[in-house]
Amino acid sequence: MKNAANRQEGILKRISDSDAFIGLLFVTPFVALWIVWFFIPLIESFLRSFQDANFITLETASFIGLDNYFTLFEDRDFFRAITNSLLLVAVAVPVQTLMALLFAMALNREIPGKGFFRTLYFLPYVTSPIAVATVFMILFTQGNFFSVLMSYLGFPDTTWTANLTLALPFVMILYVWQQVGFFMVIYLAGLQGIPRELYEACQVDGANALQKFLNVTVPVLRPVTSFVVTVGIIYAFQIFDQVAAISRYGQLGSPAGRTSTLISYFIQVGIREMEIGLGSASIVVFFLLILGVTMIQRRLLKERDA
Amino acid sequence: MKKFKIKPFDIFIFLILSFFALIFILPFLYAIYTSFKELKDVNSIVGLDRLSFDNYIMFFTNPLYMVPRWLWNSSLMTAIILAGNIIINTMAGYALAKLNFPGKNIVFFIVVATMMIPYHMILIPVYVNMARLGWLNTMLALTIPYLYQCIYVFLMRQFFMSVPNELLEAARIDGLTKAGAFFRIVMPLAKSGLITMIILSFTGTWNSFLIPSTMISRREMYVLIVGLNSVKNQFFERTNIIMAGVVLVTIPVIIMFMLFQKQYVEGVATSGIKG
Repeated sequence: MKNAANRQEGILKRISDSDAFIGLLFVTPFVALWIVWFFIPLIESFLRSFQDANFITLETASFIGLDNYFTLFEDRDFFRAITNSLLLVAVAVPVQTLMALLFAMALNREIPGKGFFRTLYFLPYVTSPIAVATVFMILFTQGNFFSVLMSYLGFPDTTWTANLTLALPFVMILYVWQQVGFFMVIYLAGLQGIPRELYEACQVDGANALQKFLNVTVPVLRPVTSFVVTVGIIYAFQIFDQVAAISRYGQLGSPAGRTSTLISYFIQVGIREMEIGLGSASIVVFFLLILGVTMIQRRLLKERDA
Repeated sequence: MKKFKIKPFDIFIFLILSFFALIFILPFLYAIYTSFKELKDVNSIVGLDRLSFDNYIMFFTNPLYMVPRWLWNSSLMTAIILAGNIIINTMAGYALAKLNFPGKNIVFFIVVATMMIPYHMILIPVYVNMARLGWLNTMLALTIPYLYQCIYVFLMRQFFMSVPNELLEAARIDGLTKAGAFFRIVMPLAKSGLITMIILSFTGTWNSFLIPSTMISRREMYVLIVGLNSVKNQFFERTNIIMAGVVLVTIPVIIMFMLFQKQYVEGVATSGIKG
């Protein structure tokens, strides 16, 4: 009798101390939250994109096939949002990548105060995009510091966020100013991983600085660049806070939709106007874009390894 | 003694770097300086005698702005999300790194796949569910879905992989259970991984705008960033007050960054995580 009880206790103890039990116990909170607050909503998002759902008719919404997608591609606002997003990516990503690489290379030399420079360049990245956008909005008003500074470069001295042609460039400047430190730090880590011998070997071969850059730095950094560009594209497609900050009243993307992006369109339609079906379709398009970028990067990396 | 040879090229680089340093620091200095000014001095350069804490005092005392309440909301949201992340991510990360359990591969696949899906994807259904539960405009809507984050589960898993198995075996020989070994031996060792996760998660949560601005519409439930944004939209011409708000909302992350700069930069550089 006593033996049996002991044995039972022993089995219980062994189970409660097994990898299987502890492992499952440890992942349960994560998996439970993930199913309820990620997986189910994700499926729902895809399903809603095929429904004529808005916030009021949610329970009675019916499936309408691809109609939301057709509506999207006939919607001038969506066309503008996608154009703006592509423009943002096309300008911000090359500029921030090149600047980040040059900053990293400069800070990888024996320059006095390089730790100070690194901290300073990275500082914008940790601050809130809303706070940064607020300060920039004021600095880019007519007669204020940055607006005057830009007027020396040939831009008009005007309030950029109210100007139909300058509002989008304003978002680009603001965005690059804030992101470049992040990519610089990633490049710096990459540069520090390049063995000195590689450069020394080049030196022996009589290579000059440019040849060293082209034959050692660029090829060795290729995986880093691939990461910086891919992540850069994905983040740039997600720009929202800056647009929300400069749209002080009315629809997101002010002035007159000139700064609307994929995400600001999604929030405007899906949340503010509560067109759940259409909003969901727009975010699925966004998702497919991001997926495409990731796939292309995978393919490129594989091709080179092969 | 080694003599430094100053190359002209390095002087050139130093000058370029200094120019950009100015571009990067200027908006910060402008915000701080202006936040101490009176409205009529906003566009002029004034001496120290004309600067005061009035704008800050006004923010904390004028009931129009509710800044103390917004500050509390931001702090509470950040604290709850951090606590959740510290517990849930580390447990899951440890299980994935060191324990063999059924379904391990599936859980790992979930972590990696979710990392690649932007959370915008689920915003509408989450918003709808929050509305159904009556959780909109409450702290629950700001925290419950974000108590874990896959990228940090992944980060912690990588971190725990480097803990030697011999250490865990030694803990067992000393009579500790598997759970006991985790809490008594592994967690204290994980300090540097935890710090990386905490600082990244802190800045990300404190600075978050999309989710708080979507889930909250009642003024007294705003977090500081959303509150600041609404003050800016309403009183854009009162530059000095807005700048005080900008400084208020930025100070906590700057302090955090200055304290843990090394871990922060290393964490970002090695993981490529956007906070």
